Amino acid sequence: MKMDSVLLMAYVDGELSAEECQEIEKEIAVSPDTAELVAQLRASQLPYAQAFAQQKLPPVPDSLTEAVAAMARAHAQRTTTPGANDAAVTRDAFTAPSAPIRSRLRIAPQWLAVAFVAGVVCYGIGTRFLPGFGATPNSSPTATLAAANPEEPGWVAAAAGYQQLYSRETVAQVPVNAELTAQTVDEIQHQDGLNVRIPDLSQAGLTFKRVQRLRFKDKPLVQIVYLPQQGAPIALCVMKEGKPDTTIAERRVESMNVVTWRHADLSYALIGKPEGTDLPALAKRISDNDVQTLFGDAGISMLAAN
Amino acid sequence: MTGSDLPSQLPELLPRLWSFALRISGDRHDAEDLVQRACLRGLERAHQLQPGTSTLSWMFAIVHSTWIDELRARSRRNRSSTEWDDGMLETVADPAARTPEENAINNQIVNAVGQLPEAQRVVMLLVAVEGLSYSEAAEVLEVPIGTVMSRLSRARQTIGTLFGVRDNQKTKVAVASKDPVS
Repeated sequence: MKMDSVLLMAYVDGELSAEECQEIEKEIAVSPDTAELVAQLRASQLPYAQAFAQQKLPPVPDSLTEAVAAMARAHAQRTTTPGANDAAVTRDAFTAPSAPIRSRLRIAPQWLAVAFVAGVVCYGIGTRFLPGFGATPNSSPTATLAAANPEEPGWVAAAAGYQQLYSRETVAQVPVNAELTAQTVDEIQHQDGLNVRIPDLSQAGLTFKRVQRLRFKDKPLVQIVYLPQQGAPIALCVMKEGKPDTTIAERRVESMNVVTWRHADLSYALIGKPEGTDLPALAKRISDNDVQTLFGDAGISMLAAN
Repeated sequence: MTGSDLPSQLPELLPRLWSFALRISGDRHDAEDLVQRACLRGLERAHQLQPGTSTLSWMFAIVHSTWIDELRARSRRNRSSTEWDDGMLETVADPAARTPEENAINNQIVNAVGQLPEAQRVVMLLVAVEGLSYSEAAEVLEVPIGTVMSRLSRARQTIGTLFGVRDNQKTKVAVASKDPVS
């Protein structure tokens, strides 16, 4: 019966040969059930596309347009230097992603809208999670960071939102390309003007995976990603902010733990899931310079040397 | 079309991904997150996009599977049409439409599709609304093409029954239908 209705649908839609049509018309003549089915299918020939085209849908949100454009730009930038950041996922061409989403979709609704797009109004995450940042809103040109709220450290929220989307699988397969990493660090130091090094956190069980040059409101934002032995990746994000040093402070941004500090005009945010690695302890070691450097120390690269 | 073209294609595909996400999720916040997540997934897997594959159906597949994963995560797969944002189910009066009744019919078509069982509804959206071929829809949904056709025929029987009744009671339904302009 199931095949019949599919065949009858093809008949109604004029997709059968003349011969097949004759067969079906014979059947219709003798079977009221078939005749009724054909009548139903004919009645279902409706202007669906036209009807849905008139559906009053909300327009594509600007935040989404900007987020997708930013993602596409970031991706295009990455693929022009293939290698280190190319996730080596091996799935069939048309296999849909099978990894379950652990959390609600709504975890990071505006992550990219806030991140990496110049001139976007910051979203309402108050200073409560970052005292000290922006406490002197008029003292620095970086106050332009916060379009909606002069005290808002938008980049930390953006970076944390971005990091929320990372699963273990996102970076687990990424091979570390020492040469490209060294080159990226060189660009960060010389083109972006950020004296950033890549700390070796292997003693804390974290494997360095990659470094990316992102932008927040047209300013360089460095993201260094590590993979712990278990659980979601951890990121160390760095931005230049010409403000006084601060000691480490731990905050929660959405579902992420964020530990921040500022040293030598660089603001750091160590971002990870609440469970697992002791982020404050790790942040203290990084800020105390109690770790070795993988990349960025006057051309010495431990990984490259290996 | 290869994966390296995906970044340049995504912005122009966005309106269709957006309406598809809105229609399958029935919620604009979910839809926004869904499209963002799907685009991110798509870009991460861009190298798997084979030449000759339609980028649109490939992205529909990712949007759809992302949504299915999300529903599983939420453990509430039996979303009924009553949970929908009612505003989304209305259609606006088309200046080109000849009669108010035509607008009413458009409303009824959208509502009829919206009330189908989920699997049939998605097939109708892909084939009848988005214009995908049966085989493209099968790839999007990761089901055999025969399944797409049988879902489609069942969906159309249901809708045909509804509209067969409507034809018999034209006046009554036209009066009872929502004013599309309100």
